[in-house]
Amino acid sequence: MTSPSDPLTLTMRLALLSSISFGGFPTVLPDVRTFVVATHGWVTDQEFSNFFALAQAIPGPNMILMMSFVGWQVWGLPGAIASAFATFGPPCTMYFASYRLWVRFREARWQPIVRNGLVPVSIGLVIASGTVMVGASYTGWASLSVSVAAIVLMLSTRINPLWMLLGDGTIGGFGLL
Amino acid sequence: MAELTDEGQPSGQVPLSELFIALLKVSLYGIGGGGLVWARRIAVEQQRWISEHDFADIVSLCQFMPGPNIVGIATCIGTRLRGVIGAAAAVAGFLVIPWTIGFTFGVLYLQHAHNPALQNILGGVSAVAAGLLIAAGIRMLLPHRTRPAAIFFAASAFALMAFAKLPLLMVLLAVAPISIAVAGFQRVSLR
Repeated sequence: MTSPSDPLTLTMRLALLSSISFGGFPTVLPDVRTFVVATHGWVTDQEFSNFFALAQAIPGPNMILMMSFVGWQVWGLPGAIASAFATFGPPCTMYFASYRLWVRFREARWQPIVRNGLVPVSIGLVIASGTVMVGASYTGWASLSVSVAAIVLMLSTRINPLWMLLGDGTIGGFGLL
Repeated sequence: MAELTDEGQPSGQVPLSELFIALLKVSLYGIGGGGLVWARRIAVEQQRWISEHDFADIVSLCQFMPGPNIVGIATCIGTRLRGVIGAAAAVAGFLVIPWTIGFTFGVLYLQHAHNPALQNILGGVSAVAAGLLIAAGIRMLLPHRTRPAAIFFAASAFALMAFAKLPLLMVLLAVAPISIAVAGFQRVSLR
């Protein structure tokens, strides 16, 4: 099923896709699926969706983990490590370079304009992704009120959010949500 | 703890080990995509390494770059504090230990059957994590509340993404140029 050149093929492909994943790695997931499931048959559809669910459930860098599971399937531990690097390496280099440029032009006249234009848009997108996630975790009035309570507590108190997460994981564990 | 000077540059050098541990915390606490919430809480509120404005800058820069946004935030915080070596320490802190734990757990888990109790726990956690993300966004918007255009474009991006369900790239391409143009126009008319 796998040939000696497969690890390189997968790594190169992931590096390419991560370099164009504007808006976050999930935007290129369909391309990854096509490549590893349909084109090469390294992973079945069932396995691919298992990787996805599992990566979402584990704290930490979930898309990097998901690609590591794919790499592990193709080439064991070296494949997992290579896939992880291919997923975060190229974007990290680009983040570093662009942040350096941003700081260098701190005094430039266009920068406050670009900032005043861009920042509200990205804040709107943060709130939107929170809303989309409320929708994704919605199971009824109980889960919705938990989300609303989290917003209110976070804005009105200085309580450590970790307690809210722990408390709700426990409530959820008893099947109450 | 480094205090911010007038230029917004940290006056003392943040030790690389502190940077590593701070981003390790962001990574471990950020269950279900809450990394942004923790990055802001730790870097802005607790350590006072960067200002609210600088953090909003970093977040918007990372929205426009490819790749995992939160890794970008780690890269930028590290770059801001200690340059390239800081970026390496921050990204290593964010990735190495969580990846090792997550990968080990995941590989073990994949060899076993699906567990419904685990699924329920995750449901509760994700409902809170989603609420926290919204709250973090509202906090970031507060410094801009005096600018009606800022509120308008934040609301537009929000609505296009959350309700019209357009892909992110499309929302950015549709809203960002107009928002920048309005910001430029307002600046010109102020003069």
